[in-house]
Amino acid sequence: MENNKLSKQILTKEALYFVFFLWLALIILEMLFPNIVLVYFNLNYLFLLIIFLSIFIFIKK
Amino acid sequence: MVAKSIAKKSLLFRVRLTWVSAIVLIVLVFLFLKVIPFGEATYTKNYATWLKSGKGFIYNFTPAERVDEKSGSLPRLVGDPVYFSVFTPRTFSKAKVTIKYKSNLTEKTPIIEAGVLADNIVWQYELKPVQNNYLDYLDTVWNNIFEPNVNLLQLDKNYSNISDFLDDVRAGTIKDCPNGPTSCLATYNYSPEFNFRLADARESLPVDFDIPLRGAHVMLIYINEEPLRFDFNFVDLNQDKKPDPIQLILSKDKNIIATSDLLDTDGNEESGKEKIKQLSLEKRDLPPGVYKLEIKITDDVVIKNIKASLGRFVFANKVWPVSVGKKLSFFTSASYIQAKAYGPASVQNIEFDGQSFNLSEPYKQFEFASDKQSNFKNIELEKDDVIFENNGVFSFSGASLFNPLLKKVDSHFTPNKEIKYVLANYKSPDEGGIYKVATAEFNVKNAYREQGKYSFMLAIPGLKADDDFNDYLEIKEIKIEFTGRNIWQKIFGINK
Repeated sequence: MENNKLSKQILTKEALYFVFFLWLALIILEMLFPNIVLVYFNLNYLFLLIIFLSIFIFIKK
Repeated sequence: MVAKSIAKKSLLFRVRLTWVSAIVLIVLVFLFLKVIPFGEATYTKNYATWLKSGKGFIYNFTPAERVDEKSGSLPRLVGDPVYFSVFTPRTFSKAKVTIKYKSNLTEKTPIIEAGVLADNIVWQYELKPVQNNYLDYLDTVWNNIFEPNVNLLQLDKNYSNISDFLDDVRAGTIKDCPNGPTSCLATYNYSPEFNFRLADARESLPVDFDIPLRGAHVMLIYINEEPLRFDFNFVDLNQDKKPDPIQLILSKDKNIIATSDLLDTDGNEESGKEKIKQLSLEKRDLPPGVYKLEIKITDDVVIKNIKASLGRFVFANKVWPVSVGKKLSFFTSASYIQAKAYGPASVQNIEFDGQSFNLSEPYKQFEFASDKQSNFKNIELEKDDVIFENNGVFSFSGASLFNPLLKKVDSHFTPNKEIKYVLANYKSPDEGGIYKVATAEFNVKNAYREQGKYSFMLAIPGLKADDDFNDYLEIKEIKIEFTGRNIWQKIFGINK
């Protein structure tokens, strides 16, 4: 039971790290090659996901 | 406790390995989309779908006042021309544009064309046909011979294959056409090899042409074995930010014979300080015929005067006289003129072929037509700084009037008894349901590209946003298939 809770906690945190580092990587890519990401995908969606995950982790703490 | 810690570390390691790999993979996918290693990419914009995850490759139509996005679910083009740009992650050599559209146009707008910005100095678009109602009609009533990239439409079946016809055009004698190809042949999106001969080409003395002309112009010169030398004096007005290079290109039948260049490196842009510049072009031993001299300059440069070794020249399609300071009289071969006053001071009444027309507003293009059947029509104006355009030639001297241009099946084409042949590179749009599908192919190898974007245009000559007609072209989808060098051809420098 406790293990399960621990795993969930780890996964939520890691999901936040994943989204954050993905967002950062895509921003760097966009700076190097303008428009290469933005034509396909709006990075604001990722930014919103980062905020939601951060709030979720903060509430659960 | 230790076991729990090991389990936690093991899980953490696996999770981190997974998401780091996912990020690397996603970055690699985007790099793949940037490089496009196979050299082919297709970008589509379906105006019927509302879901957009990114900016998209095909940008919206501009200017906004020529597009009606409120009356229907799809954009309606209500004015001419309309532009859109296309972002590509890399350069390509060819673009195939497919347009799915519904036409609610009247007979006043028989032609739809698509174009790509080929030259940003003279702001020239390379246009290709989308729909030509004249040709679609002639196809149903005239005899039509199809060959790859060219079709010959003829009133009477005088020719059974196109190569015989092209041979006769080259020789200047086509069947059932006593006055030569310029009188009974019209073309569209096709330029046959044709050597225009001036019937009475007398000896021409050197001339000093001193009517200042602003911006790019194209001269057509008839050479009759004399040497060719043109000395130009330009005035760089330095009113805008961009540099103003000058280029002279002498060509015949699309083959460049000589060029002369002058770069703008003095850095006086936007200073307002005028600068005189000179450029010459000389070529001897040219065989008789019509030669094209392109004067490629921006609108910030004025051709102050031209010293020419011969006076047999006319200006093709456009003239923009400025700073003449006196009443001006010149001639044109077309039955209409499109005139635009470049400032409030140029608003005036224009005499065209004996009729008076009111150029009542500045910066707005007016079209004046003459119903007389004369070969050359006189234009008289009190004040200069008016841009004149049409599909014929302009001449400032009555002695050097000649028109070597073949008639074009454009929006000002008037079918008459004299026209017996049409040579065209045209394919009618496919009709599938209420929407038509047309395709135009462009060579974009040397097309102008700014900030990774190619600039395209949709032209519907005669379509006006501010008239009382409810005529429009509804666009459902634009698809652009780009092809270029693949990664191996790029690495090994193979051209495609």
